[in-house]
Amino acid sequence: MAEVRYFAAAADAAGRDSERLEVATAGELRLHLIAAYGDAMARVLRSGAFLIDGVVSRDDAAPIGARVDVLPPFAGG
Amino acid sequence: MGDRSLGLIDERPLDRAALEAFVRSSADGAVVVFEGVIRDHDHGEGVSALDYSAHPEALGFLERICGQLAEETGLRVAAAHRVGALVVGDVALIAAVAAPHRTEAFTACAELVQRIKTGVPIWKRQHLASGATEWVGL
Repeated sequence: MAEVRYFAAAADAAGRDSERLEVATAGELRLHLIAAYGDAMARVLRSGAFLIDGVVSRDDAAPIGARVDVLPPFAGG
Repeated sequence: MGDRSLGLIDERPLDRAALEAFVRSSADGAVVVFEGVIRDHDHGEGVSALDYSAHPEALGFLERICGQLAEETGLRVAAAHRVGALVVGDVALIAAVAAPHRTEAFTACAELVQRIKTGVPIWKRQHLASGATEWVGL
C-alpha cells in the first residue's frame, strides 16, 4: 500500500488530503485517480505530475513505493 | 546550497533588503532584483486576492534552483517566495542576482524567475472580483 498525498487543486478534486492505495506504477495510479475522481482530477493530472522519492515525475512507468504525492501544475511567482 | 546562494519561503512579508545585501559584493557593478507582485487582474477578470500554498519540500526545490544557477553562472543568487493569503500589491516573489556587469545580471535574474515558476511546487488559488475562486495554471 502506498500513501498518496494530494495538494492544492488535487486535494480539492479528491476531497481529501491523503489516502492509502494499492498501486504499483504511476500509470496505474493515474487511471485509478481518474476513475475515482473524474474530470476534476483528470484536469489536474493533464498538466500535473507525481512526486516519487523526492523526484518530480511524469513517467507512467515509474514504480511507486511507500509514498507518492499528486502535484498540480506549479504556479509560483 | 553553498554560500553563494540563498532560498527562503516565508509566510511573512519578504525582506528585499536582506536579499539584496546577500547578493551584493564589492566586485559587482550590477544588482538586479525582480519583484513578483499580486496584480488586480488576470485573463480579463478582476482579481482581489491570492492564496499561496507550498509543498512541505518546496524550500528544498527553491534552494536547489538557486544553488544550481549560482554554480552555473558563478554569480550570487537569492530568492524568497511568500506563501499564505496575499492581496493586490503584496510581493509574492523576490529574485536577486549580482554580477560584475548588467547583462549577465539581467539574464541570470530572468532565468532564476523562470526556473522558480516552473520548478518549485507552489500553488495559488485566485479570488476573482466576481466572488468565484480558481486554481491558477489548471
